Amino acid sequence: MKTFKGHVALANVSLSIVEHELVAVLGPSGAGKTTLFRCIAGLLKPDSGSVQLDGADIGQYIGRDRRRIAFVFQQFNLVARLTALENVLAGRLGHVPTWRGCLRRFERSDRLLALECLDRVGLLGQATQRSDTLSGGQQQRVAIARALAQQPRLIVADEPVASLDPNSAGSIMALLRQIARSDGVAIICSLHQPHFARSYADRIIGLSRGRVVLDLPAGKFDQAADAQLYRMS
Amino acid sequence: MRSSDITPGYHAVTPAQQTLADLDAAARGLTVRRVRFWLIALALVAFYLVAGRLAQIDPGRLASGLPKIWHWIAQAWPPAIEEMPLFLRRTAETVAMAAIGTTLATVLAIPMAVLASRNITPVPSLYYPARWFLNALRGIDSFIFALLFVAAVGLGPFAGVLGIALHTWGSAAKFFADHIENANLGPFDAVRTTGANRLTTIAYALLPDVLPVLLSTTLFWWEFNVRASTVLGVVGAGGIGQELKNSMDLLDFPRLFTIIAVILVVVTALDQFSGWLRRRLA
Repeated sequence: MKTFKGHVALANVSLSIVEHELVAVLGPSGAGKTTLFRCIAGLLKPDSGSVQLDGADIGQYIGRDRRRIAFVFQQFNLVARLTALENVLAGRLGHVPTWRGCLRRFERSDRLLALECLDRVGLLGQATQRSDTLSGGQQQRVAIARALAQQPRLIVADEPVASLDPNSAGSIMALLRQIARSDGVAIICSLHQPHFARSYADRIIGLSRGRVVLDLPAGKFDQAADAQLYRMS
Repeated sequence: MRSSDITPGYHAVTPAQQTLADLDAAARGLTVRRVRFWLIALALVAFYLVAGRLAQIDPGRLASGLPKIWHWIAQAWPPAIEEMPLFLRRTAETVAMAAIGTTLATVLAIPMAVLASRNITPVPSLYYPARWFLNALRGIDSFIFALLFVAAVGLGPFAGVLGIALHTWGSAAKFFADHIENANLGPFDAVRTTGANRLTTIAYALLPDVLPVLLSTTLFWWEFNVRASTVLGVVGAGGIGQELKNSMDLLDFPRLFTIIAVILVVVTALDQFSGWLRRRLA
């Protein structure tokens, strides 16, 4: 449960995700998606209840343990003045000694891993380009590569396609699904478009007024479920 | 067909490995970047050497001078408590000078800021002259203005007020203008299309946006000017600075350090107060 100044943002939310699974979270604005995601990622502390990853409470995570959860933001949040490669290397910061991070001097193996991540998102050719010169879709790909370089157990993606055109959005979703399949990582992703959830997710969770109101395999999410979820707000 | 054969023991190079090799190769040896880096580093070292020579940096003199200051501080006890009423009145004078000068500057700054904002100026041809005028005001320190006004209107805090007002006018108007130029003009355009005239539009769409910034920067300048105007007394423009100068001239160290302590306490208190007020406004 999580409240802000007495307003209940999340109440009795209980859900679990397994690796290789892409779970989409749908719900009207203000349903608590972002609060839920920030709690899952450890950016917010729930007032009661806990978030567990591989059997350990993430509330107990300190420092480097946090690398096990990667976050993909709606607004990408790349460091504008750094290159795509340097942004991806940020995903290694939880793995390398502090001085390497501060001086941006990474070992060969880390740089190779970062380039491989960039290659997976199809941006190897843009490695040395400054991230603010990339298009929105490309920037989100770099952000996903950064999450991959973190070698996380869980990727939390808060409306990763809300700032993108439908084409880029589709390919980002396809990419996330492929990552979930091949990397043994669990992905939880909030969306505003039910059709993306239906085409790319394995499971769809509906959130409304801080509660889980439905939890279905993506194939079972039909017109009725859609109407029910968005009418309840 | 031979060239495409993969011989045993030979691992195909992945695209990522290839890119890494390319990056490393590009970074090796005498690259343009590296040459430029060292040229800039060299230029910086040369610059600081010349600057150090011009500024006559001499650590030896500092080493021989420091004991003198220690000696003065040792002499400064006990503080000149008996003159406290005078110091407090003079400090109040300084705070008042800064307050009136800053307020006057802010009031004058608002129309100048409108004139010096490229996006909303009613007279575009005056944009550059307005900017030049403000830059000139900004470029001349309150101290120098005060020096002029002491000669023109005589000794005392009034000369200090005028000095502060003129210099702060330039700084404040330039700051406001920069803020207006970066402000979101969407609401401004929206209000304009309702048929409102320019003055109404500014009052309606721009003022609510920039008012908090205006107030908080005014507070900041007031506080800044209190600190700055402690030195105005040195040129005879009133306030606590005048007592400071007299004490220094007479080598009266208990008095000198008591005044410095009073200034520190007042400036700190004011800093806290204006910080608190600015948080309330934000």
